[in-house]
Amino acid sequence: MSAAVREILAGVVGPDTLRPEGEAEQWRTGPGPGGLPAAVLLPASEEELAQVLGVAGEEGWPVMPAGSGRWLEGGGSSDVILVLSTRRIREMDVYEPADLTFTAGAGLTLAELTAATAPNGQWLPLDPPGWAVGTLGAAVAIGGNGSLRHLYGTARDHILGLTLVSGEGEILRWGGRVVKNVAGFDMTRLFTGSWGTLGVITSVSGRLFPIPERDVTLVFRCEDAKRLAPAARSVALSSMPVAAVELLHPLRSGGVLPNEASTAEDDAGLVVRLLGSEAVVGEMEARLRRDLAGELSEPDRLSGEASRAVHAGLGDWEAGADLVARLRLLPSELPTLLAEAESLGRLTRESSEGDSRCSITSHVGAGVLRFAVWGMPSTNGVQDHWSSALAELRGRLENGGGSLVLSRGPEAVTRRIGAWGGRGEEAPLVDGLKAEFDPHGIMAPGRLGL
Amino acid sequence: MISSARGRTTHSNPREYVAKPLASDVLAELASVVGADWVISDPDRLLVYEADAQTAHRRAPQAVVLPSDTRETSAVARILHRHGLPMVPRGGGTGLSGGALAMHGGVVVATSRMNRILEVDAENRRAVVQCGVFNTDLSDAAAPFGLHYAPDPSSQTACTIGGNVAENSGGPHCLKYGVTTRYVTGLRVVLSGGETVWLGGQSREAPSFDLVGLFVGSEGCFGLATEVEVALVPVPEATRTLLAIFDSLEDAGHAVTAIVSAGLLPAALEIVDQNTIKAVEASIFSAGYPTDAAAALVVEFDGIEAGLDRDAEEAERHSRRAGAREIRRAETAEERVALWKGRKKAFGTMGRLAPDLLVQDATVPRSRLPAVLERISKIAARYDVQVANVFHAGDGNLHPNIVFDRRSPEETRRVEEASGEIMAVCVEAGGTITGEHGVGVDKKKYMPLVFSPEELDSLRKVKAIFDPEGLANPGKVVPDPETELPWSQAEGPGVGQ
Repeated sequence: MSAAVREILAGVVGPDTLRPEGEAEQWRTGPGPGGLPAAVLLPASEEELAQVLGVAGEEGWPVMPAGSGRWLEGGGSSDVILVLSTRRIREMDVYEPADLTFTAGAGLTLAELTAATAPNGQWLPLDPPGWAVGTLGAAVAIGGNGSLRHLYGTARDHILGLTLVSGEGEILRWGGRVVKNVAGFDMTRLFTGSWGTLGVITSVSGRLFPIPERDVTLVFRCEDAKRLAPAARSVALSSMPVAAVELLHPLRSGGVLPNEASTAEDDAGLVVRLLGSEAVVGEMEARLRRDLAGELSEPDRLSGEASRAVHAGLGDWEAGADLVARLRLLPSELPTLLAEAESLGRLTRESSEGDSRCSITSHVGAGVLRFAVWGMPSTNGVQDHWSSALAELRGRLENGGGSLVLSRGPEAVTRRIGAWGGRGEEAPLVDGLKAEFDPHGIMAPGRLGL
Repeated sequence: MISSARGRTTHSNPREYVAKPLASDVLAELASVVGADWVISDPDRLLVYEADAQTAHRRAPQAVVLPSDTRETSAVARILHRHGLPMVPRGGGTGLSGGALAMHGGVVVATSRMNRILEVDAENRRAVVQCGVFNTDLSDAAAPFGLHYAPDPSSQTACTIGGNVAENSGGPHCLKYGVTTRYVTGLRVVLSGGETVWLGGQSREAPSFDLVGLFVGSEGCFGLATEVEVALVPVPEATRTLLAIFDSLEDAGHAVTAIVSAGLLPAALEIVDQNTIKAVEASIFSAGYPTDAAAALVVEFDGIEAGLDRDAEEAERHSRRAGAREIRRAETAEERVALWKGRKKAFGTMGRLAPDLLVQDATVPRSRLPAVLERISKIAARYDVQVANVFHAGDGNLHPNIVFDRRSPEETRRVEEASGEIMAVCVEAGGTITGEHGVGVDKKKYMPLVFSPEELDSLRKVKAIFDPEGLANPGKVVPDPETELPWSQAEGPGVGQ
C-alpha cells in the first residue's frame, strides 16, 4: 500500500514534502496497522497542500490534518492513509503591532507566535493542552482552550479569519485582520473547532492582547477538593477580572507546582491567576485574601516567572496519561462533577494494583472538569469496566445537558464507547456541511463522530 | 435564482412574488395559527414594514405575521413553505442594511410579540430570552444580580436580541467586550421548512460544529432564531470617561493608535467629527461639544476601581501629545451621560443636516485610520458630498455617513459614487465592507470586493443546507451569480430606490 501511495505522491509534490518512510511511526493516528499512515506530507505551501488533497479525493485516501502531531490521537484513533502536516507553512505573514493583530501560517507553534509578538509586549492568550509545542492551526482546529478562557475566552473569541483548504482542495479565505467584520456568513466560526473534518486550516488571523504588567498566582490548599468548591465558585463569580480559576486534585499531579515537595500527597488546590497592572493585581489579591480568609488557609503566592511556570505545568498536565476525559455541565454543577470524578477515582484504585494514579483539573468558571488516569492496566476486564462506567457517566451528563468527550483513551475503550458522545438535533445540518466541504468523506475520519 | 447544495434550484423565480397580494386562503391559514389580529395584510398598514432604519431601500411585504412563540413560528414557516413564500424575519426594524425587507415578496415574520425573558440564571451567568426582547430590557432584568448583557448597539432601547443575533451587532463597548457572537451560547431556530432545531447550549460546548457561531450574523438567511441563550457579564464596578477635543480628525485617529499601542485596553474609544458635532449641537440633544472642533474623542475605562485613574491619566497624556486642545473628565454619573450624549445621539440628529442620510459602515485595521480618514475627506471633496463621520475608532469601525437630498438625481449619483469609492478604499487598506450593520441588500454589490467567486458560491451552498428551497430571507447577503461584477459595474447602491 505504502509504496503505491508514495509513488503517486512523488509525482505531485516536491522532494522535501514527502517525508521518508521511517518517519511514519512518529505520526501514528492510532495503535495497530491502520494507525500507521502510508505517507506523511509536510507541504511547503497551501497550493501544494491543496494539490495533495485533490489527489487524496480522487484516490479516496483518508487524511488526518496535523500540525506538530500533538493532538493526532485526540478524540480516538483513526485509520488513515495520509497525515498532512502544516508545519512547514509557518510564515508570520502580517504582524502590525499597532493593530494588535496578526496573520500567520497555521504551522507556526503558539510558542513561536509568542516569541514573535512578546518583544512588542503582546501575546495571544490561548493555552490549550500542549500549547508549548502545538501549532496555531491545530489550536484553532480543535477549538482549543485552557485555564485562560476564564478571562480571555476560547479560540473562537480570538480568531478573526482563516484560510481553509477544503476536502476538495479548494482554497477558501474567510474573515480578515479586522476585529469587527460581518461581511458574509461567519465561516471562520464554522471551521474553528471542526477538528479537521471539513478541510485543513493553513493560515490564521487573530487578535493579540497587551502582556499584563503583573502575573501572580495564589494557590489555596485543602485536603479535600469538595471543600474548595464553594470558594472556587465564589472566585469565579466575582466581579473582578480574574484570569484563571482552576481546581486541581491532587495538586501534585503533572508537576504543576515548583515546590511540590512541601505539598502533602493528596492535597487539593485552588489555583487563581491574576493578570493586569500592578494596581489591579494588588487590589484583586488583597480582596481575595480577605474574602477567603475565614474559609481557607493562607495561600502560597507565586509571581512573575514562577506564576508562568505553574500555568505551563497546567498546559502539560495530561502528558503521558492513558485516559483523559473531558466532562462538562453548567458551572453551578461543579459539586456534581466532583462527585462523579470521585467515583472514577475509586474505579482507578479498584482496577489496578497500586501503580496507577488519577488526577482532576477543572476550569471552574466554564463547568469543565478533566479527569486523567496514568498507568491504567491494559487487561480486557479493566477496559470493559471503564467502558461501562464512562458510558453510564456520559448518559448522566448528557441528560443534564452536558457532555463527556474522551480526549484520549485505550483503543478498546474509545472503539467501544466512541470518543464524542451523542449528537444533538443539529446532526442533519452537520452532515450537510460535512458533505459540502468534504464531498469525498476523506477528512479526519471519526472525529466528532463523523 | 438560488441554487441548493444538491444542485437543485428554487422551484420558481422569487421575483414573481413581487407586489402580488396574498391569497385569502393563505391569510386564513396564517390567522388560524396566530389569530386574525396578528396577520396584517392591509396595504396601508404594510407600509410600516416597507423599510428598516436604512430608508434608502423600500419594499413592502405581501403580509406581516406576528407569532407569539416557537410553536407558532414553526407553524407559520410550514404554511409559507407549502405555498413557496419567502419568510422574512424582522425584529425592532432598526437595521441599517435593508435586511428585513421582503425584496422578493413574501411574508415578514415580526418578532415583537415574542418579548418574554424566559430565564435569568445568575448562578451560571446566563439568560434565555425570546427573540423579540429589547436589548436594554435584558440588561435591566439582569441588573438585580449585578449582571448585564454586554453588546450595546446605539439603538439598544429599540433593537431586539433576535435582531442582534441576525446582524452580529456591535456597539461602543465591544472594543473591550466583543460583539454579539461572543455572548450567544445557544439558539432555538425555526428553519424555512418549519423544522425546529436547538443549536449549541452553554453546557454542551462542542463536540460538534459551532453552528451557533455560524448562525449569528446570518441575517435571517438560515432561518429565524426564536429563543436565544446568552452569557451575561458583571456590571463594571467603576468607570472613567474622558472627552478629548481635537482641531484635526487625523490627530484624533493618531491618539487612538497611541492609546491602544501603549497597552491600554479601554472599554470604548469613539470619535465624532465636526459635521456630526454641529448636527448634535444644533439639536435638542446638545452635549456642549465645541462646534469649531474637528473631532471629539470619547475614551472610557471600566473595571475595578484600582488602576482606573492611572489608565485615564495615561490616555489623557497620549491625547494631548497627539494634539488634543482640551480634555474633559466626567466626575459624576450625570457628567458621564453628558459626555456620551454627543456620541449616542449622533445618528438621530443627522437629519438636521439634509433630508436624506446614507449610513455607512466599514472596518479598517486601526493603524490605517488616519490615512483612510484623509482619503475619505478627499473623496468627499472631489464628489462635493458632505460626510459626517461617527466611529468606533478602537475597533477601526467607521461610519462615514453621507447626508444628501435624494430629490436631486445628480446629487444622488455623486453620493452613490463617493460611497462606492469609500468602500473600495477601506477594502484596499486591509479592511472590510461592513463591521456591524450587515450586508442585507445594501452591501450585496460590494461582496465581490472581499470574496472570490468560489467563496461566494460556498456561502450560497451553506445557506442551502439550512434553507434548501431558498425561502429564508431571499435576496440578502450573497449576490446572485449573474450580478457578481466589480462594484463599479454592478447596480448602484440603490439610494433613492
